[in-house]
This record gives sequence, structure tokens and C-alpha cells, in this order.
Amino acid sequence: MSSEQDHLKETDTEARFDFKQEERSAVRSEKGLTEEVVRLISEDKDEPEWMLERRLRALKQYQAMPMPTDWPGQPDLSGLDVEEIVPYIRPDVDKREGVDDWDELPDDIKDTFEKLGIPEAERKALSGVGAQYESEIVYQNMQEQWEEKGVIFMNMDQAVKDHPEIVKEHFMTTCVPPSDNKFAALHGAVWSGGSFVYVPEDVTVEMPVQAYFRMNSEGMGQFEHTLIVAEPGSEVHYIEGCSAPKYGKHNLHSGGVEVFVKEGAHVQYSTVQNWSKNTYNLNTKRALVEEDATMEWISGSMGSKATMLYPCSILKGRNATDTHITIAFAGEGQDIDTGAKVYHNAPNTKSTIESKSISKDGGRTNYRGLVHIADGAEGSSTAVECDALMFDNESTSDTMPYMEIEESKVDVAHEATVGKIGDEDIFYLQSRGLDDDDAKKMIVAGFIEPITEELPIEYAVELNRLIELEMEGSLG
Amino acid sequence: MSTTPTQVHANLTEEQVRQISGELAEPEWMLETRLEALEALGTLDMPKVIRTPGRDWTNLHDLDFEALVDPLNAAEEKDQFGPDDVDVLSWADALVEHEELVRKHFGSIVDPQENYLTALSTALFTTGTVIYVPEGVDAEDVTIRTEQNSQSLFNYTLVITEENSSVTILERQSTGTELEEEQYYSGIVEIDAGENSYVQYGSLQNLSEDSYCFTAKRGVTDTYATINWIEGNIGSKLTKTETSTVLEGDSSESQIVGAFYGHNDQHFDLDVKVWHRAEHTTADLVTRGVTDDVSRSVYEGVQDVGRDAWDTSSYQRENTLMLSDESEADASPKLIINNHDTEASHSATVGQIDEEDLLYMTSRGVTPRLARNMLVAGFFVPVLEEVAVDELREDLEALIQERLRD
Repeated sequence: MSSEQDHLKETDTEARFDFKQEERSAVRSEKGLTEEVVRLISEDKDEPEWMLERRLRALKQYQAMPMPTDWPGQPDLSGLDVEEIVPYIRPDVDKREGVDDWDELPDDIKDTFEKLGIPEAERKALSGVGAQYESEIVYQNMQEQWEEKGVIFMNMDQAVKDHPEIVKEHFMTTCVPPSDNKFAALHGAVWSGGSFVYVPEDVTVEMPVQAYFRMNSEGMGQFEHTLIVAEPGSEVHYIEGCSAPKYGKHNLHSGGVEVFVKEGAHVQYSTVQNWSKNTYNLNTKRALVEEDATMEWISGSMGSKATMLYPCSILKGRNATDTHITIAFAGEGQDIDTGAKVYHNAPNTKSTIESKSISKDGGRTNYRGLVHIADGAEGSSTAVECDALMFDNESTSDTMPYMEIEESKVDVAHEATVGKIGDEDIFYLQSRGLDDDDAKKMIVAGFIEPITEELPIEYAVELNRLIELEMEGSLG
Repeated sequence: MSTTPTQVHANLTEEQVRQISGELAEPEWMLETRLEALEALGTLDMPKVIRTPGRDWTNLHDLDFEALVDPLNAAEEKDQFGPDDVDVLSWADALVEHEELVRKHFGSIVDPQENYLTALSTALFTTGTVIYVPEGVDAEDVTIRTEQNSQSLFNYTLVITEENSSVTILERQSTGTELEEEQYYSGIVEIDAGENSYVQYGSLQNLSEDSYCFTAKRGVTDTYATINWIEGNIGSKLTKTETSTVLEGDSSESQIVGAFYGHNDQHFDLDVKVWHRAEHTTADLVTRGVTDDVSRSVYEGVQDVGRDAWDTSSYQRENTLMLSDESEADASPKLIINNHDTEASHSATVGQIDEEDLLYMTSRGVTPRLARNMLVAGFFVPVLEEVAVDELREDLEALIQERLRD
């Protein structure tokens, strides 16, 4: 594990995430959600009329929908005042579609991403990188070899102009319509930035593409949209990372992710989110999975004040497969409500959900899941496994799975366990010369290993490092 | 927190409640409790059911309680008896012999105004049993058999065990006279298990398949006490039932064993809950059920570990066997953990008869139908093994056998 050690030395994760830059904005909207704000965003982006219409329709739906408040054990959203959030800040960079050379960025923005280690990761291990600062992508690059094969990786605002036919068909239509929930509607009204990934038929993008989202300003909302279209037989691994420094005011992150996994395609979507602990993280992520296709969700949820996030796969075609691997860590003052949803709507579809959570210093984690097996989805199987580790008596951990089974020829299994960190395990490690803290860190690292081993090494290291910092209580 | 308004009973009156109370020669305080429950009907909602966006998994709001409830014409055939050193009393007798005890406990475990159906039951119950087990008494064979012979019947059971006592209670509900209209049975059971006492409460619901059934069975344990529930649900068109234990005393325990078998268009909504509220408490929840034809089961199991429940052990298993494509089986086993000194697990499975087992048996010359029946009967064995009361186990086995198809 020497490369892991080196990487740890190179990166001081706390300094990497919790630093602030002076705000730099070319356009900054008013606070709150109004038609004027929506029109301003659309106009500033010089959008086609159809997109403005979709935004305005979503705004109406947002205004008509109540806040979700009646779920059993849901996080408290009373501290979130959308009317106090600035939904749109365009940084004052020269090129709107994002530069493709880090050196062309203003020094403070470049410095931000350098600190986060993104350019270095791009050189080492990635096929392409998009970097979003506030509301827009400021850096976008894709290696030539993939561009030649017709792979498109660009910022979402640009895709609206350059690929209207694909975007019109897929953008918040069948996968995540704004009517899905209040925050999807909010997202539909004020979305900005994010990634568009298009992989042509039978093309395999061997190295992951990555987008990194950074919120720098106080009291802002970030609403990036990610649209991935994987044509039949194609394969791609998309990674997103997110961070924001901590301010006195609450931030809101309400992203939208839509993934179209066509016949026989394979999409892996990995997230490591480390929003600051005053961010409300309320996302909608969904994949439509066709025949013989595979969708893999890998999520590490570390930061935020409150998270409500249940990535969803709709298995539409025969033999479609879903894998969910999630890890949540809640420290002091955090409420991480996350899980997975899978709809088995065709025969012989399979899903596995593996969820691990750790709660410490008064943090609260909740696994909330729904597995639905529709009438006619014969031969389908699902296995759900949730494990929770609790450190102390201020912390809480719940599991609330739902299983709706309308078909008899199925194999459904759900298992969950909750346990405290084992005194015997700690004693054993201490007797081998480790101190109490190191023993605990080691036990946690072992607990989450099934998750980290699915991630590319840079992310696995980062996740481990983040958890170590949480264990030391040194992340603000 | 559903906001759907509940229908207010237009055909229920204070006079009816006064008449019921008068016929039982009840004291004023009990009449008051009934009248308050009656009055609360207008503001109370139905018991909670599992909801996911856009869907109530059991719809109680559609039931027409005004048509189902006929308060002054309750009729039943009832047996209630037990050994000499245990008081097994009708409500009228209990109020004469143990008024203070009843006053102390009645409505203390299941809040009369918890929801619309508990309030309806409290306001209108005409029959029931009070079981009082004095200190140090060990008793078996307390039997309550209720045969419903009217459109609606409201039953109330109160069990109080003193220190170091033990008791085994078997309760059976069935339908005597089947009527043209649909029928409604409602039963509330409260158990107060005193220090170091042991209560085993088995219930076998085999009502007519034209009837609706609501029951709330809840017990509270003192230090070192044990409450074990056995829940057999075979009959009824729709059952909404909660079986739960509040582990209030240190080192107290509870086991809840359930079996259900749905066929035709039966609907079972089963809540199994345990609240760990003290130190060193243990719970074990085991349920197995079958759904056939277009029947449907909704299972919610909750293990709630409170902030002060140090050293908790809590286990839950639920397995459903689906015999037909048209049946539906929903499950939500929940863990709510507020104390980290906890070992807890739950598991739930849904599946069908194993094809390989079937092939194995038919290849040994067993007919497919018989093989299937044997496998269904075999599916219940792990639950039946947990039923410590021979008589109840045999009855349950017999009812399962009856339901198997030739």
C-alpha cells in the first residue's frame, strides 16, 4: 500500500476542503425563487425558448408542491429557507464553456482545484474532467482518443446548445420529471452547470470521467444537472466529487442526475460528497436501465448538515442489473438519510444493495430503501444488506426498508444489523500495541472496505482519509 | 400524519354508550372514559399504515364503519375459565371484585384515544375478560373463546400479573352466525406483567372471511418480566393488527411469534413492535406467512431501542412464501436505534416454493400437489417450533392443514 501512503502524505484533506476564496461573480441572482430569477438564468445562458419553458413549468410545479415533512424519521428541514438562498452565481471567467487548460483559469479558482487535487488526478487516472465553480463549469477537458470515438463529455449548458436533439429527448422527461418531488421541481427551474456524457454504441471508455463541484460562496444553492446517455453496448464510469467550505449561512445543493443505460450498456456512477456541515443536500438521482444493461451506484456520503438522497434504478428491460453500494458517515450535528430505490419492472432483473453507515458524536444515519417487484417481473431477485456501526450513545442509526412484492417467482432477501464497535476487537488490537484511536480507525477501515475496494484508488484513499479525519473530529 | 379526514359516526349516540355501560353496571369513571372516546371519534385518524409516496398499503378509510357497527345488538358465545387460584372474570364481575385494579390499568397501555379504532372499541365494548394472577401463582390453561354472533363485536381483555407469577392464556376468535352483511370484530388486549412474572399469550384468529378484524395487543414488562406472544391469523377478509411489547423493566424479555395464511382475497396488515426502554432487555420477533390466490400481506416490524436501553439484544425475522402470481407480499422491517450498546438484526425474505425441492419430491413418487402441500406445511415448522403451548400449536397446525389444497 505504498502508493496509498504516498498519497496520504501528499494530501492534507482538511486543508483541501475547508478553505475559502473571495467570491468572484459576473452575474449573481437575487435571493429566492421567482420567475425573474429563472428568466435571468435562462437569459444569461442564452438558452433556447424550449428550455426556458421547461424551467418555468418546473417553477410552477415547485410552487405548488408541499415540502416533504411527513416521512417517518426524516431529517429536519426547518432550517432551510429557500427564499434566503442565492440560486445562481456565474463566476467571472473569460470562457463560458470552460477552458481546457488549468492555467487559463483565474489564479484563485485554479488554486481551489489544485488544492482539491483535481488536475493531478486528471493527469494520472482520468479520461476527462469537468470542474464546476459555483453555478457553472469553468474547466472541461476530454482526452482526444475518446473524442475521436464520438464520446461527448461537456458541460450541460453547452450541451443544450450543441446537442439539442439529445437533450430535448432526455432532459427531465422520462427519467426525473420535475413533478417527481419538490426538490426535483426546484432543480428543474434553476439548474445550472453539470455534465453531459454521451457514449456511442459499443464504445468502452476505459478510464473514468470525472466532474468536480465546488461551492465557494456563502448562502448559495448549487443545482448542477448530470445527464448520461450510454448507447447500446457501451461502457463508462462517471465520478463526481463535491465540496464547499463552511459558512454561517446554510447552503443548498439540489442536483439532478439522469442516467440512460441502453441495451447491454454498463454505467458506473461514483460519488464522494463532502459538503460542508451547513449544506442541505437534497438530490434526485435516477437511472433507466434497459435489457441486459447494468447500472452501478457507488456513493460515499460524508458531509452536509442534512442529506436526503436515494439513488434509484428502474430496471425496465429483461436481465437488467443494478448494484448499489453506499456508505454514510454522520458526525456531530449531521443527519444523513440515504439509501436506495429499485423498481424491478421486467423479468429476470437483479439488484443488490449493500449499505454501510457509521454514526458518531451525535450524528444520525438512516437507511431508507424501497424495492418494488412489479407483477410480471418473474425470476427477479434482490438482496439488501445494511450494516450500521455506532460509536457512542449520542448517535442514532435507523433502517427503514420497504419491500413491495407483487410477483411470486422472485427471490427477495433483506438483512440488517446494528452493532457497537466491539470492545473485544479493540482490546485485541490494543494488545498488539495499537492505541485506542488507531484501533478504532482500523476497525472502521475494515468495516467499510467492501465499499472502498469498489472505488478507484484515488477515491478510496480520499474516502479513507475523510473518515479518518471525521474520527479525529478535525473536520469542521 | 395522514390528513385524510375520518368519517364521523352519525349513527352513534351518547345514549347508546350510556346504555352499554349501564347494562354492565359500570362505575361513573368508566362511563366517562367511554364517552370521552366517543367524543374523540370526530378528531381521530385511522391507525397508521405503511405509506410510500402515492400509496397507502392498507386502506382503512374506505371501510364503512357506520354500516359495519351495530352497537346495541352484540351477541356472542363465550367461554372464559382458568384454574382456581387465578381470577378469570367478565367485566361486570371484575368491576365488583377488583374495581381499583381495573381502574388503575384500564386504558393505561393502549390509549383509548390512540386512534379512531381504539376509541371506537373503548366506547362500545360489551364483552371481555379480566385476568388477575396473584403473587407467586403459576397457572396454565386460561382459556378465552369468543364466537361472534352479531354484526359487530367489541372485546376487551386486561391481564395483570403480580410478582413472581406465571400464566398461559389462549384466546380464540371465530364466527358463529354468519350474516348476510359484512361483520366487524375489534379486540384490545392490555397486559401489565409485574416484576419477574411470565406471561404467555396465544391468540388464534379464525373469523369468517366476510369479516373485518382490528386488534391491538400490547404489553408492558416490569423488571425481569417476560411477555411472549403467539399470533395466528387465518380468518377474516381484512385484518389490521398490532402485537407489541414495551420493555420497561431492566432485564425483561419478549418474544413475538406469528404465523399467517392468506388465500382468496384476504388482506393481512400485521404490525409487530418492540420498544426497548430499559437495560439488558431482549426481544425476538419471528413471523412466517403464506399468500395464495389474490391475497395480500403487509408486514411492518419495528425494533425501537431507546436512549437508555443499554445492552440491548433485538432480533427479527420475517419470511413470506408466495404461492400465486396474483398475491402480493409487502414487508418493512425497521430498526430504530438510539443506544449504541446494542446488538440488533433483522431480516426479511419473500420467495416461492423451491423448484428443486419440488422436483426432488416428485422424483420420489410424491404427487406434485402433495409435495407442494408438504413444503408449505414444512415452511411453517420453524415458527411452530417456537410455539411453546402444545394445544395452540396443534390447533394452528390443523388450521394450516385445512387450508392446503387437494
